[in-house]
Amino acid sequence: MSTTSQKHRDFVGEPMADKPVTALSGIGETLGKKLEENGFDKAYVVLGQFLLLRKDTEMFTDWLKDSIGANSRQASSCAQCLKEWCDAFL
Amino acid sequence: MSSLSDKSAQEISDLLDEYGIKHGPVVESTRNLYEKKLKEAMAKGKRAKPSPDKTYYREEEEEVTYVYRTPAKSEASGDRGAYPRARQEWNERDYQHETSYSNYSKPKPEYNRSSYGNEPDMYDTPSTYRSTYAKSPPMKSGQDVPDAPKSSRLIPLWVQFVFFLAVAVFLYLVFSTMETNETPKGIK
Repeated sequence: MSTTSQKHRDFVGEPMADKPVTALSGIGETLGKKLEENGFDKAYVVLGQFLLLRKDTEMFTDWLKDSIGANSRQASSCAQCLKEWCDAFL
Repeated sequence: MSSLSDKSAQEISDLLDEYGIKHGPVVESTRNLYEKKLKEAMAKGKRAKPSPDKTYYREEEEEVTYVYRTPAKSEASGDRGAYPRARQEWNERDYQHETSYSNYSKPKPEYNRSSYGNEPDMYDTPSTYRSTYAKSPPMKSGQDVPDAPKSSRLIPLWVQFVFFLAVAVFLYLVFSTMETNETPKGIK
């Protein structure tokens, strides 16, 4: 069992509805602001990007790193969070 | 070469396919990423063709050719070289199993180390194969002894035999204590 944070569990446990991007695992205040600057103001928009990348966690991780300067840990945490959410709800 | 940003979305998509990069639609938000990926791929000088599947098969092919070339690298194939030609068919057939076993060779050594304890890690791979094919190897062991071993092997042949006999004796003891009715004679 991989170690998941409370934030991760909270996100993956229910439909994301209108949650802000900061609700995503790995995305804090700083990264959240950068995402919003890029037009990703809600978690579901980031989900949209994840889906556009065909739910490929590696590709999504790269995208996060490139677009908002996330580090490996943050990016893979977010990717994993979204992936599990998709597995549960999509 | 025209810059990537001048290309149409379809062209980008085609290029990604050529480099074997799995991708989604090339839209505004994904375009930058894909252009970066293409630049990396071109810089690496990747072959502009393959799918991941082919690489996998290529590995299998390489493993199969080890049987005939007996390189110093793989102890599993060095093992194969020991057995006489009569067993080659058996080897070839089981090679499909063995390629998958070689993938499992990582977790198995831990299990083997606890049971046998005296051999270093890399010797465990041959023993894994031996213990799983417990029935047929014993019958052939008589034939193996007179056969001249190939020179390029990691551990000497006699060590393999001694180890094998140790394993066989161990199994015999296990069986004799567990099953009172039958003691399988086929092992030795």
